[in-house]
Amino acid sequence: MKGTSIGEFEELVLLSVGILYDDAYGLAILDEIEKKTGRSVMISSVHKTLVRLEDKGFVKSRMGGKTNVRGGRDKRLYTLTPAGVSVLREMKEVRNLMWKEIPRVVLEG
Amino acid sequence: MKEKTSPPRWMITFFQWFCNEHLADAVLGDLLTLYDRRVKVRGKLKADLLFFFNVIQFIQPFAIRRQRSSNTANSLDMIRSYFKIAWRSMLLQRMYSAIKVGGFAIGIATCIVITLYVRHELSYDTHYQDRANLYRIYNEETGPEGGTWISTPPMISSILKESYPEVAAAARLIVQDWNNAGDNLFRRDDQIESTFEEGFAYADNDLLTILEIPMVYGNRSLALKNPKTIVISKSKADKYFPGVDPTGKTIVLNDDLEQTFTIGGVMADFRSTSHLQVDFFITLSGVEFWEGEQTSWCCWNYANYIKLRPGTDPEELESKFVSVKESYLEYLSKQKNQNLEFVREHYALRLQPIDEIHLFSGNMHDNVPHGDIRYTWMFGGVAVVILLLACINFVNLSTARSANRAKEVGLRKVVGSHRSMLIRQFLSESILYSIISFGLAVGMVTLFMPYFRNLAGKNIEVPWTSLWFVSTLWLCAILLGIIAGLYPSLYLSRFKPIDVLKGRVAVGFRNSNLRSAMVVFQFTTSIVLIIGTIIIYQQMQFILTTKVGYEKDQVLMLQGINTLNERQKTFKEELMQLSDVQNVTITHYLPVDGTKRDQNEFWRDGKSTEERGFGAQVWYVDEDYIETMGMKLVAGRFFKDDIASDSSSIIVNQTMARTLGFTNPIGEKIMTWRTWNIIGVIEDFHFSDMKGKIGPLCLVRGGYGDIAAVKLKNDQMQSAIASVTSVWNKFLPNQPMRYSFLDEHFERMHDDVKRTGNILASFTVFAIIVACLGLFALSAFMIEQRNKEISIRIVLGATIRNILTMLTGNFLKLVVISFFLATPIAWYVMNRWLEDYEYKIEIGWNVFVIAGLSSIVIALLTVSYQSVRAALANPTSGLRSQ
Repeated sequence: MKGTSIGEFEELVLLSVGILYDDAYGLAILDEIEKKTGRSVMISSVHKTLVRLEDKGFVKSRMGGKTNVRGGRDKRLYTLTPAGVSVLREMKEVRNLMWKEIPRVVLEG
Repeated sequence: MKEKTSPPRWMITFFQWFCNEHLADAVLGDLLTLYDRRVKVRGKLKADLLFFFNVIQFIQPFAIRRQRSSNTANSLDMIRSYFKIAWRSMLLQRMYSAIKVGGFAIGIATCIVITLYVRHELSYDTHYQDRANLYRIYNEETGPEGGTWISTPPMISSILKESYPEVAAAARLIVQDWNNAGDNLFRRDDQIESTFEEGFAYADNDLLTILEIPMVYGNRSLALKNPKTIVISKSKADKYFPGVDPTGKTIVLNDDLEQTFTIGGVMADFRSTSHLQVDFFITLSGVEFWEGEQTSWCCWNYANYIKLRPGTDPEELESKFVSVKESYLEYLSKQKNQNLEFVREHYALRLQPIDEIHLFSGNMHDNVPHGDIRYTWMFGGVAVVILLLACINFVNLSTARSANRAKEVGLRKVVGSHRSMLIRQFLSESILYSIISFGLAVGMVTLFMPYFRNLAGKNIEVPWTSLWFVSTLWLCAILLGIIAGLYPSLYLSRFKPIDVLKGRVAVGFRNSNLRSAMVVFQFTTSIVLIIGTIIIYQQMQFILTTKVGYEKDQVLMLQGINTLNERQKTFKEELMQLSDVQNVTITHYLPVDGTKRDQNEFWRDGKSTEERGFGAQVWYVDEDYIETMGMKLVAGRFFKDDIASDSSSIIVNQTMARTLGFTNPIGEKIMTWRTWNIIGVIEDFHFSDMKGKIGPLCLVRGGYGDIAAVKLKNDQMQSAIASVTSVWNKFLPNQPMRYSFLDEHFERMHDDVKRTGNILASFTVFAIIVACLGLFALSAFMIEQRNKEISIRIVLGATIRNILTMLTGNFLKLVVISFFLATPIAWYVMNRWLEDYEYKIEIGWNVFVIAGLSSIVIALLTVSYQSVRAALANPTSGLRSQ
């Protein structure tokens, strides 16, 4: 089952995967979201969302190499798929479109 | 590197256990990194807690371990394949499969039958809507001679109704053989011929409402309202008044035209699960059996059923019954009865819930047949044990055969089978076995149910058509399959492919401790059952052959001769003249159940206000009684026909003489409501079952009765009955002769022992069959395993004897161990059983020897068939195979 739309948190996760590019794994994504939005996020919801996004085909994953930084611990690295990129782009366009239609009065008032 | 702090190991293990492979390592990495950060900031304890909290957060569907290849279509195919493989391996090992299935089926069939029996017993008197508020009154006397009985004086029920607001309704009942209660000759007033009918009882009108008896015709609240009314059951109405409403019709009892009865209604037949089984209720309205009877505390003949108002606490009510006791004490003190203090101390009126009457009445004297909760559970327990034996066979055989399946398991694992899949495979195999066994068991139940009905004396139906029964059977089949298959499947699936494929498959056989324990359990059970059965049969033999104090053989009982009235004497004289007849006596009272009993209170003459009296049976007999019954007079004389003064003579039994305390009782006087002269003492004889001691009993001069006991000269029953019949027909042409034999009545009195014995005997047979099937298959398997060894031994010169000893010795050891385990258990249980009997056998050592030897012989026979075959086989065939 491929979902064509994504929720707000899913979008945040997807964007973070994009930002982190080659080093997007669970904890890094969590840090990224916390840094950018300032809200506190549960590690389990990050992983849950990643699993769902992978099921929907927006990200793909591979086991990453062990790094000394993490004390030789495993990590699963995520990257955007073309479908993931296009869904992000779509979201952004929809937003821009809708932004433009908001009368100036509303934004300034 | 420096030592790193890390969360408790078990948390990590737990996480790895439940989390799926896709996420486990990655998430753990994340969590540990988080942990490291937290340790620095907040310390170990908080970090540990937070780590645990994180772990808990992951218990969500997305992270939890999933079965691989959870494709539904595929797993359906797999299940189909499991069943196919199971079916094939079953056909491949025909003998073992037959034994597995057969033994299992026997166990299941026994269990089904007994479950139905237990259910039937437990369902007694549970059908009343208001059952929680229905009670029967009973009397309790504590103390060494104490006991419980239900009969009370006549006015108890009205006292209860009037003085206790908690009592919503109360009614009386008389079921014992007394006046017209019990059995009678019955006819419509427009017909001449009478028919013998049983199941008569006296009852108050309200009893119909209290017991919620459904009416076919007539109004329940009025049917017994008027004096001289009678309510008959549906089946009797159909018999005498087919197709019509008999309400208002007149019927005659015992040809007594002065006292006819009007039918007040027709009630539905009593359920088979009711403790009462009555076909005719005669009203108690307007009944007074003698002058002043209804208001006197003297005579206790009435049972009482009451209905309490909802919410009444029965125990609280019982404690209020003290005021009833007060009026009884008042009566006793007016009589200057010396029992007063004893009664005050030891007597109480109590309540028994109606649904406890059947199973929990113990030794209650109530003239109603009972079950016994102990036997109910005992039979249930034995059935479960037999089922367990069958399950053990199943487990035993499955694990024993493991060597044969080991290669399959190894190969399956090599090709990628998971352990869980193998477990599923073996479980579905055992479920298949279980379902087949259930099918077979259902067949057995249908086949044996009539036999069991006979054995238990109960009309138990198998509810084949009810949904709950069928669905329970299916559920049990699957459940039992899982239970029985659990150990074998865990065991078989544990094999390591590398061991198996290298040929190290004997793992299954070497570890045989568990298997030996199971065989021991099976044989212990069987031996306990064998011993129990032998002892019950011995007790039965003891009862049937012990000297009862009278001669019960060749005594014909002609019943229903009360209709002869004053012609009884001439009837008796004519019978005496027959060449086959040795003696005749006419009486109501015989030392077997189903004849009349009368209890009176006795004192030494003139002492009724000074000494405590005691209860004794008073039997009215004629001058030929002890001659006919073959009883022995130990002192004095018996009644003589020509002595007019015998009207106040009395003959006591030895127990009564002892109770009275007379060294020479002849010539002494004793009293009840009148004075008696003791003219003789007879030897004690048993007049009730062997459970109680022989009580005091005395004989007084009667001469009228409804039974003529005819002692025959020889055992030519046919000709004797023919000649007696011809005399009967001359006197009573309109009444078919009803006769039976005294010894039959005696045996019937002890039916319960016989029944228990027979049921236990069949259990024993089943248990032994199951145990032997298991042993047979095990020995066959063991010999198969050692085939090569045996062949080599034979080649090297072992004799048949050597081989046999070697093969059977092992199993015999197990049976001997079982014997030593079984002996104390059986001894204890059977001693408890015998405690019920005042007159009983001693458990002798020979019982144990017989049981031990027979089980050894049975085991030996079972094992030796295979062993002999192995020992006689041509060794080359065993060696050539590989």
